[in-house]
Amino acid sequence: MPPRLRLEPRHLRVRISSANHASQQCCYASVATATTPAPPIDQTIRSVPPVLRYPTTQPPSYKPPQFRKSQLHRQYASLLRSTPLMLLFQHNNLRSVEWMAIRRELVTALRKVDAELAAAGGSAESNAAVADSVKAQILQTGIFASALKVVEFYHPAQDQEPRTPHPSDPATPTSARIPDTHPSPADPRHTHSLSEAAHRAAADRKLRHGLEPLLSGPLMAVTFPTVTPQHLAAVLRTLAPNPAFPAPRRRAVPSYHEPAVQAGLAKLMLLGARVEGRVFDMEGARWVGGIQGGLGGLRGQLVAMLQGMGAGVTTALEGAGRSLYFTMESRRMDLAGEGKPKEEGAEAKEGA
Amino acid sequence: MITKFLTNVSTTFNPFSPRAKTARNFLALLPPNARSTMKVDVKMLPRTSKEPIRLSLKFKDGKEMDLDLQKLKIGDVEEEVNRHSRGLARQEELSGN
Repeated sequence: MPPRLRLEPRHLRVRISSANHASQQCCYASVATATTPAPPIDQTIRSVPPVLRYPTTQPPSYKPPQFRKSQLHRQYASLLRSTPLMLLFQHNNLRSVEWMAIRRELVTALRKVDAELAAAGGSAESNAAVADSVKAQILQTGIFASALKVVEFYHPAQDQEPRTPHPSDPATPTSARIPDTHPSPADPRHTHSLSEAAHRAAADRKLRHGLEPLLSGPLMAVTFPTVTPQHLAAVLRTLAPNPAFPAPRRRAVPSYHEPAVQAGLAKLMLLGARVEGRVFDMEGARWVGGIQGGLGGLRGQLVAMLQGMGAGVTTALEGAGRSLYFTMESRRMDLAGEGKPKEEGAEAKEGA
Repeated sequence: MITKFLTNVSTTFNPFSPRAKTARNFLALLPPNARSTMKVDVKMLPRTSKEPIRLSLKFKDGKEMDLDLQKLKIGDVEEEVNRHSRGLARQEELSGN
């Protein structure tokens, strides 16, 4: 127990009467009254720009975003949006060495096509190296099916601009465009493919995109960054050879005929293709791959056809004009024949 | 599924028909070295064809099995194959091979 201090009333009186108020105010902050300056007029007229409650790269997700399946869903949706041409294969228990060998053969075949196209010249578009962007990847079928439904059936309104002041507006304290959304996935203004709105749009079981029967069992997809019939033909020759797309000869590509590659290819089955949102079966995929000269060739054919049509149209239009001209001319001749006396009368007038 | 006693698998299907799932799942159940131990013949039809799905199997004892995939699901197919294969396995065991 601490020693008891004798407190005399005289001492207390002295301290109170000293009027040391400043120190007392410090001691009792809760009692203190501070004058708050009035808010600036600018702040009372317009509201403060919203503060983003989540990172721009991680908008709130309907399913827990930390799960692998959520991220795969996101990845597949992005893949489906970015690839116009996709081949679907079923793979029946391929071994890893076989996968490796097949991927190697695919890359060599595609690089060869790239080199051929570069050697042949042509537009910059056809010269872009596609080989390294063509990927063969194994899909998680169920998640892929769900992502495909989101991509096919969820089209959020494109005109949804973030309701924020323009970045160049001097009133804006930050140049970042911050969407005025709530940090909950239920906010309908979230339009990414993991949002609740996307989930609801894809949950309708009656919607059909045509690929449903293929989306079961082990699947592999070969994705192309552009629609290039030449590269597609190379992939078909490598992965699904048939008489129309013969496999490379043993002398030309000896590594293609190694047992690992052949054993792997026997277990790959081409099921179908998705080209610019449309579903094709094997025949359709081969038809796309068989377009001669690629897209350039197709454009050339179209131009030739249109030119032929243009010439036809010109002669047709000209013909109508010509016949009209002939009719009018003959009519004028007739009239000229009838109107001779009138002319004479006119001459008589001039003479007078 | 016991695939040890299969010698021949031949199937024809149109991958776009909803029933073809069974045939494709059956092919996916075959082991990685299936092509070296049995003859696997897969024929895929174009999207528009209406031909019925066919799956015919041959076993080591010569039994042929034609499965009607319009009715059977993959579990039923597995059951059928396993029933016959178990009999073959028992015979093999009794004969001491």
